[in-house]
Amino acid sequence: MRSVMVFPGLLFLLLISISSAQENNTNQDKDPLDSFMWELYQDRYLSNAPVHFDSRVKITAPDFAEDSGQVPVEIDASHLNGKFEKMLLWVELNPIPMVFEYNPGTQGLAKVGLNIRLEQGSPVRVALLSQGVWHVGSTFIDGAGGGCSTPGIANSGKNWSKDFGQVRGRRFPAKQGSRLRFLIIHPMESGLLPSEIPFYIEELKISSKGETVADMKWHASISENPVLTIEMKGDERTPYKMKARDNNANLLESQI
Amino acid sequence: MLIYWNHKFDYRVLLSLATLFLAAISAPVHGEDLNIHQVVENVWMVQGVPEELSEENRGDISNSSFIATGNGVVVIDTGATAAYGRRFREAISEYTDEPIRWVINTHHHPDHIFGNSAFSDVPIMALSETRNLLMKHGDFYLKTVHERVGRYSEDTVVILPSVTVEGGVKSFSGYPLKLIRFSGHSGNDLVVYDPLTKILFAGDMLFWNRAPTTPHSPGIDIWLEEIDRLAELNPAVIIPGHGPLARDSGPIEQTRAWLVWLDSLMREGVAAGRSANALIDSDIPELLSDIPMAKFELTRSISHFYRKYEDSWWENSNR
Repeated sequence: MRSVMVFPGLLFLLLISISSAQENNTNQDKDPLDSFMWELYQDRYLSNAPVHFDSRVKITAPDFAEDSGQVPVEIDASHLNGKFEKMLLWVELNPIPMVFEYNPGTQGLAKVGLNIRLEQGSPVRVALLSQGVWHVGSTFIDGAGGGCSTPGIANSGKNWSKDFGQVRGRRFPAKQGSRLRFLIIHPMESGLLPSEIPFYIEELKISSKGETVADMKWHASISENPVLTIEMKGDERTPYKMKARDNNANLLESQI
Repeated sequence: MLIYWNHKFDYRVLLSLATLFLAAISAPVHGEDLNIHQVVENVWMVQGVPEELSEENRGDISNSSFIATGNGVVVIDTGATAAYGRRFREAISEYTDEPIRWVINTHHHPDHIFGNSAFSDVPIMALSETRNLLMKHGDFYLKTVHERVGRYSEDTVVILPSVTVEGGVKSFSGYPLKLIRFSGHSGNDLVVYDPLTKILFAGDMLFWNRAPTTPHSPGIDIWLEEIDRLAELNPAVIIPGHGPLARDSGPIEQTRAWLVWLDSLMREGVAAGRSANALIDSDIPELLSDIPMAKFELTRSISHFYRKYEDSWWENSNR
């Protein structure tokens, strides 16, 4: 009888300690990467609200960039699904640090993946504004790939013109809705190389049944031929349309 | 009794048995800091460490070999730095009095060719494409080597192969070597087979106990087909591009198993819509997970190949 009483008591204590541990995780206000650039970007992008480093805001990326022109980065902050108004992704040491600003609208979930350019090894940050607080997730990607890698950024070859504007869309069922994946053939030229003028996708909208349900602002630190993976609330019968517009007013669309 | 065992007695059988025995009992000699193994009476290999280029390992990460033909030495691959090339040359002179007369570069990767710096007085042979690739990317590779190996890469320069060769049996002053042209690892891979000793100098077409690198592979399917052709040679000894020498088919089986797994991981992953990062985080099968550099090379291979697999998935499903 006594042991039966002790067990729920222990369980209770255990639960308390777990939840307080989580509390500790979510309420850190010191940069876990201890980066000298952190404060600059906090001032620039997040000055309108307090900041919490939140270990549940995850950025997944390879430990190192094998091809610095194409680094796959994924964000998962599912615990904030339906509870965030904005998501920002930036690379601290890129010449164009901001990658995207995402407005989840009525259907966007907190799961996004994109291939990005990495000028050098750098902290990468994502911040989600939720109920007046920025929840920040961080990772560091090493810039040096393997010994016989060729330089990724110089690799592009400019073969895009043949297929320019082509969009491939796929969709998959996801835990909490649908995962949409779009590959867009576009050079995403930053204008930073002397031979280039800026030519990149600036705006991307996801709509369903004629209504915009989420949108993003893009910057030229997104890779050539971007691949966007994004999760939406709707089930497999919900139709979606992706519409991207570049700074030359080209429209690129896909319906899935 | 043994002497009359076969009237067509071939002295080479006894010789190779004797050297097998010698090689088995002798610990590797670390003369001049190189990890040198005698393979048979007239052939030696220098084994690199199963790592990436670094200052700690001085860039000594790939295998090199040499054959004393009786009329001069054939060197196969020269390592990553001028210093390695010099130490390698010194070591060769300790094992044979024959002059170094030929160098063969199996492919254009920096860990196998920058020791050319110490062999500029010797004809250096390679496929013409290998020469072209080195002409195009040599300076970039050299920069990478300097960055990673630091002071141990001093004096290292790009020395292009001076003689271009094709596949086929070639006589090295009477000593025949079969040069075979493949592409699976780097796009242009020259494999050397010694029909007298049945040694296969595989270059990076084969790895053993060091995960295979894939950056310039034209396709895993191509590489796998070519490994089948290598197996048909039925070599007695395999000297892989990285890892220990083998007196069985270990490097063939392991390189094949790694590539088969990698190929199916990416094909199935892309079809199911798994992301590149999810594939990088895959569990590596038990028999492969202990191979040094497994996780590192998995990350690299997914980075190179993911898009190609996605492209071919798209083409196949939208025909």
